[in-house]
Amino acid sequence: MELREYDLNMGPQHPSTHGVLRLKLAVDNEVVLGVEPVLGYLHRGMEKLWESLTFTQVVPLTDRLDYIASLSNNLGYCLAVEKLAGIEVPKRARYIRVVLAELQRLASHLAWVGFMANDIGAMSVLLYAFEAREHVLDIFEEYCGARLTVHGIRIGGAVRDLDAPLASRIRAVLEKIPERLEDVRALLDENRIWKERTVGVGRISAADAIDYGLTGPPLRASGVAWDMRKDLPYSSYDDFDFDVPLGANGDVYDRYLVRLEEICQSIRIVRQALEGLPEGDPRAKMPRVLKIAPGEVFHTIEAPKGVLGFTVRSNGSDKPERVKMKSPSFINLQALDHMCRGNLFSDVIGILGSLDIVLGEIDK
Amino acid sequence: MTPFVADVLIPVGKIVAVILYPMVMVVVMIWLERRVVALMQLRLGPNRVGFQGLAQPVADAVKLFFKEDIRQRRADKLLFNISPILVMASSLLAFCFLPLGEPVRIGAYTLTLWIAESPVGLLIVLGLSSISVFGVIFGGWAANSKYPLMGALRSVVQVLSYEIPLGLTVLTVAFLARSMDLVEIVRRQEASGVWYGFLMPVSFVVFWISAVAETNRAPFDLPEAESELVAGYHTEYSGMKFAYFYMAEYAHMVLVSSLVVNLFFGGWLAPFPSVKALDFLDVVPGFLWYLIKIMFFLYLYVWIRATFPRYRFDSLIRLVWKWLIPLALANVLVVILVRFLR
Amino acid sequence: MSRVLRLLRTVFLVDILSGLGVTLRLYFSRKVTVPYPEKVQAPAPRFRGLPRLFRDEAGEPLCIACKLCQKSCGTNCFDIEGRKAEGVRHMRPVKFDWTLERCSFCGFCVEVCPTSAIRFSPEFRLTGVRRDGLVFHLDEMYLTGDALQEHLCGGCRRAT
Repeated sequence: MELREYDLNMGPQHPSTHGVLRLKLAVDNEVVLGVEPVLGYLHRGMEKLWESLTFTQVVPLTDRLDYIASLSNNLGYCLAVEKLAGIEVPKRARYIRVVLAELQRLASHLAWVGFMANDIGAMSVLLYAFEAREHVLDIFEEYCGARLTVHGIRIGGAVRDLDAPLASRIRAVLEKIPERLEDVRALLDENRIWKERTVGVGRISAADAIDYGLTGPPLRASGVAWDMRKDLPYSSYDDFDFDVPLGANGDVYDRYLVRLEEICQSIRIVRQALEGLPEGDPRAKMPRVLKIAPGEVFHTIEAPKGVLGFTVRSNGSDKPERVKMKSPSFINLQALDHMCRGNLFSDVIGILGSLDIVLGEIDK
Repeated sequence: MTPFVADVLIPVGKIVAVILYPMVMVVVMIWLERRVVALMQLRLGPNRVGFQGLAQPVADAVKLFFKEDIRQRRADKLLFNISPILVMASSLLAFCFLPLGEPVRIGAYTLTLWIAESPVGLLIVLGLSSISVFGVIFGGWAANSKYPLMGALRSVVQVLSYEIPLGLTVLTVAFLARSMDLVEIVRRQEASGVWYGFLMPVSFVVFWISAVAETNRAPFDLPEAESELVAGYHTEYSGMKFAYFYMAEYAHMVLVSSLVVNLFFGGWLAPFPSVKALDFLDVVPGFLWYLIKIMFFLYLYVWIRATFPRYRFDSLIRLVWKWLIPLALANVLVVILVRFLR
Repeated sequence: MSRVLRLLRTVFLVDILSGLGVTLRLYFSRKVTVPYPEKVQAPAPRFRGLPRLFRDEAGEPLCIACKLCQKSCGTNCFDIEGRKAEGVRHMRPVKFDWTLERCSFCGFCVEVCPTSAIRFSPEFRLTGVRRDGLVFHLDEMYLTGDALQEHLCGGCRRAT
């Protein structure tokens, strides 16, 4: 009997592609032979736009890159500019940034687990995860007024101080989140259907993961212990005691476990940061107009989705000459073809979900 | 009771009732599903259209009624149009053989709460509900598009595979009751005092899993998975035709629940008939017990949907061929052995 | 022993039943839906709603037309012209055109304003049906509540 092969298009509009992503699939009955992502549907010309804005005006626009974890983008860009301009960030500001960034990591991973479970069919997990995420977003709203495009981290520090009432609210939220997480774990961790869909699916070896340039939870799930917070610490991360969860098999199930464990570790880091919040200013003294001497810097941070890098080149004026963003989702998406080959069509959704891509930062 | 009433009016009335009963249950189910799934997800669900959202199904029906009936240029017209009708008809026809309660005496006339009673009623019900497979194939093929075709193929394989454990477990019930007449099965459960669901729990569990798979419901709803194939074999349908598929699925669920109740949980019987202290339960008419039990299984359907992820297609098929069918066969053997040794 | 335990857990569907238990428990728990629009959750005090101009206690406008907001805005929302009248201490704006279309709610204008004339308000209902509802001239920059809704969408929606 002749085996047929035909092209399937998961168009830019699809309930499960986490944004406007087009996937061209070559499918043989049910088995996937190749995947080609087509990008650009959300391209907004960010990097070019930034060349006409001042360094500070770029910060709110970085929110719109990875819109699920906007504070991480703020942090990445601000750290790069501070490195370029030689701005010293006070210790209190660094701790506040850690609190914000880890809360954002928590929120991003919760959103991820919700979307992933919804794609696989467990609809209720989406709502439980988002209910937990609401508490974190309420903190952000109380801190600086916005829930999604937070713009809470500025060049030189954080937008305002983290006072005691807000710190106790954050501690209360950190109590509530593990309860909801337990519900999610009870529904998914040992569930035979979930394990059937995720164990052994989308496997990638450690060597291949490094070759493809994977970063973040997909890399750590393959067993490679690389986390920017530990290996190239920034913003006082080396003051905190936390573990980096590693997976063994590099499949979807390991990525799921790694991200859930990272949520627990983030809670741990936030508790330590709130405990040891030093005295000082929440933001360095910045000149009215920030002019940076010519130079170029590349700085990376561990965003929830992977390693986020910013290259900033200045030419002495108050506007950057070039800002280039290396987004983790863009690089991670490369490995989709490798991971999907030989798997079934329904697994493409699961594998794509496990990579945790967001089109805002892929297409910029 | 004139011959006209007995021979014409009452049968016509029963037919109307048999059409109305699943339709009313479908309307209730649409509301129930959305409300219960929402409440399990920490949200409220439809609660604005009418009291507590009870008019939501009406609003949905009106909306679907007014939608444009999109027809593809190269769709096979006959198959495209016939497929929703086939799916709906196969669900509704089987209701003729389902008994809803004890026969009621009105004067000299006994009103039976079923349209037809046949010595092979069980077989007929199973056979009629299988006709829906044709509707699915026609729908997937006639839409002339890749996604519905893939959904239809998967659905067909799924339904055909899960018919086998369904039949095998039903065999154990028929074996115990020594009859395939649904009324007789309920009477035998009354006589034996223990319902077959408690006598043969394995049969019940296998039957229930197969039934959920037969009706294409979560966690076996890959053919119509929203996030994967848009909507499977009924992607290309809109308006009233889509409403037919939608309603037929719920009607099929009600049918299967009725079967479970009749075969395994005593149909219209009150629970614990032998316990004297619970005799007051006899005040509740059989029909109401039947409804209560069906509602429990419909709730179970919705509860399962809200909880579990979806099985991937090959896992689904592996489950039935590697686990359910051998289990069902072993179950048949055990039941026969136990009976033989008695 | 753990192999036997795992086998028993698989056969008796323990994971399935515990999952069902979770949804059943949450079925009976308090729901988190807030019935909008009957009940509207007030946003946090620092919420970044629609930027509005404010007056001082005497009713005098606080804006002195220094155009710092215009300079700091990254998306060109402002078009301001000021004039200093005779005998008056400060400049006052004669033209203050602000468009909601371009605003990214970043807050630079609020942070940089020396008199706190422009501040965020708690207004978050910002939809309308006409494009010209998105442009605010000088007087319209003080509108809040029902009057703001009237401007945005011609009275098609109440503010409260």
